[in-house]
Amino acid sequence: MHGYSGKILHIDLPTHKTWTETKPEAWYKTYIGGVSMASRLCWENIEAGCDPLSPGNTICIAGGLFAGTPVPVGGKYGMASKSPLTEFIGDSLSGSWMAVSLKRAGWDGIVVHGSSDEWARIFIDDDKVSIHDASHLLGLTTTETEEAIRDEYGDDQVRTACIGPGGENLVRVANVSNDGRKAGRTGQGAVWGSKKLKAISIRGTGGVNVADPETLLQLSYDILQAAQGPHTQKYRILGTSSNVLNMNKLGLLPTRNYQQGVFEHAELVSGEYLHEHYKAKTIACAQCPIACEQVGHVKEGPYAGAMGHIEYESLYALSSNCGVSDMEASIQAITNCNELGLDTMSTGVTISWAMECYQKGIFTKEDFKCEKYPEGFEAEFGNGEAMVTLTEMMAHREGYMGNLLAEGTKRASAKLDEERGTESHQWAMNIKGLECPGYDARTLKTFSVGLAAGVRGGCHNRSAAYDPDIKGWVDRFSVDETRGELARSTEEYAAVYDTLPLCKFIRRCFTGKADREGAWPAIAKLINATTGWDFGYEEVDLIGERAHTIKKAFNIREGWTREDDHLPWRWQHEPMKEGPSAGYVVTHEELEYLKDIYYKAKGWTEEGLIPKEKLAELGMEDVAEEIGV
Amino acid sequence: MRIQMEFLGLSRLASGAKRITLDLETGTTFRDIVRLLATRYPAMIGNVIQPDSETLQPPNVFNLNAKRMIQASQMDESPSDGDRIILMSISAGG
Repeated sequence: MHGYSGKILHIDLPTHKTWTETKPEAWYKTYIGGVSMASRLCWENIEAGCDPLSPGNTICIAGGLFAGTPVPVGGKYGMASKSPLTEFIGDSLSGSWMAVSLKRAGWDGIVVHGSSDEWARIFIDDDKVSIHDASHLLGLTTTETEEAIRDEYGDDQVRTACIGPGGENLVRVANVSNDGRKAGRTGQGAVWGSKKLKAISIRGTGGVNVADPETLLQLSYDILQAAQGPHTQKYRILGTSSNVLNMNKLGLLPTRNYQQGVFEHAELVSGEYLHEHYKAKTIACAQCPIACEQVGHVKEGPYAGAMGHIEYESLYALSSNCGVSDMEASIQAITNCNELGLDTMSTGVTISWAMECYQKGIFTKEDFKCEKYPEGFEAEFGNGEAMVTLTEMMAHREGYMGNLLAEGTKRASAKLDEERGTESHQWAMNIKGLECPGYDARTLKTFSVGLAAGVRGGCHNRSAAYDPDIKGWVDRFSVDETRGELARSTEEYAAVYDTLPLCKFIRRCFTGKADREGAWPAIAKLINATTGWDFGYEEVDLIGERAHTIKKAFNIREGWTREDDHLPWRWQHEPMKEGPSAGYVVTHEELEYLKDIYYKAKGWTEEGLIPKEKLAELGMEDVAEEIGV
Repeated sequence: MRIQMEFLGLSRLASGAKRITLDLETGTTFRDIVRLLATRYPAMIGNVIQPDSETLQPPNVFNLNAKRMIQASQMDESPSDGDRIILMSISAGG
């Protein structure tokens, strides 16, 4: 078999036992890698119904098909487990040199079982696996942890994924960090923390065996050349944070916990402003010629020294959505999340929920007591220092508020409503427990069903149905019969990239056209040159459907029902008062209709379950036996 | 007719302007506006505007009044007096 080693590494933390599992080629052809393979490993290894923070959950890591090869933007891996936020599948993707090391060490994936009694870290040195004490690493930031382990081995080719204090403290919005990049969403860091696993380090010294190196090199060179052209220029120069002003103009920029879609100070927290005043450099993920990540640096003032990786999703969550117009406070808050190991999106949306509680008089200054501010502080929208301080309190579960917000919006609002008889779940902006992304869905009707039905919750990267809405291929303000198929199509399109995995920013660099017709034949050539398989358009297209289906199957086994495909209360009941999106909600009737036509487009039942025949068509007969109808 | 033109992202960097006012003949099309921008801001050619100076480089797009994106097939339509055109480029994915 080319492109794979055929080996999955299993590690049992409590006993330190390790074993190798071999998989047949047909399994690889079905699940490929990235989030699909990681989710399949979850299906095979997680005890259904387990508490996500119990030993019954497993950490499943799957490498990338193109990691370690010359294919641009292929240095990514997928990670999955049962999410402590959603209690459904939690999958995350990260660009990382660790993906390359994993491949070069001769492993296609890793499954970590059980929980350690003491804090531990794993070292994979090609085919040798050892588990070490990690107590001396406790409390270190993510960067400090990576550096400490690298120094210990005296080898900068030792690549590490690790958690920060957030994961150690079982903060449900904690992430996993590597090379400054993050497996950010769904609370993977808390799962690592529950296992007392601080880090996984890999040194891989082998090569990657591909079927047709000459062809793969030529294809990669052509993509590399295209990636230096106009198709990626906006990413290279401004990065994703240029979306702040775009969304603001369209009335879609989450502002003050999604109460508004237009932020009056958007210019001050825009990608353009960042570029002009705070940009220190751009950096790239492993194997990436684009280098989209903008690093913001604060040089003076109370946040001097802050240096954060600024993406649009981090920026909306920790600026406009908290009503904050101070870019320096935003860079500091993002830096805190990066270093303390928190998902910037879920952290920002959870803080904005708390700020709205304060705005409504539910929380008072006293609720925000902490070591830094023993008398508490005023947590009104726009208070940048409050936002910064709350990121620290969340990571350490400090005080009443830090401990509450560490649970994320779904659990924090449920607890508050029970304690004080409030209705704060109405402005808890999550779907299935995962906080919403930076696009207000009240006037993105196609996206609204993509989000509601999203298997990992409120996520823009798995659905991608905002594309037809925002780009004007359909009327974003209304619903029609085409939206179910559009939501299906865009979701499975995204899943192809997340499975290989390839960064979606390369999508115009194959032929100049980003659609399936433009990209799939080129991707098939890359797959075939790597593996020696004979994939064509249809086989590439099926990658996405299979990836999405295995995640959906996992959720069904965990008890998913149609009611779980929901939107936040606010988006269904509270229209915005100003801006281009004023006056709209997604009504109950609209959402139920959208779910009907989406399930139909997927080939599922009216209740959103998967017929056995459908699963058999996809080569998932064993899944059909368990959850097919 | 008079329209307001706003620049976001790369078009702002290339033009050095946030917004301009354009006084145009009635019937001026969106394609005519691309030509005009190419003449006034040559730095846009090759990244915001295609080398032919006739069309926008995808995914750069005109948005009309924050409500409607002007598709490639609609470039021969005309804006109206008082309209606001935003030249933007949406990022998605990652």
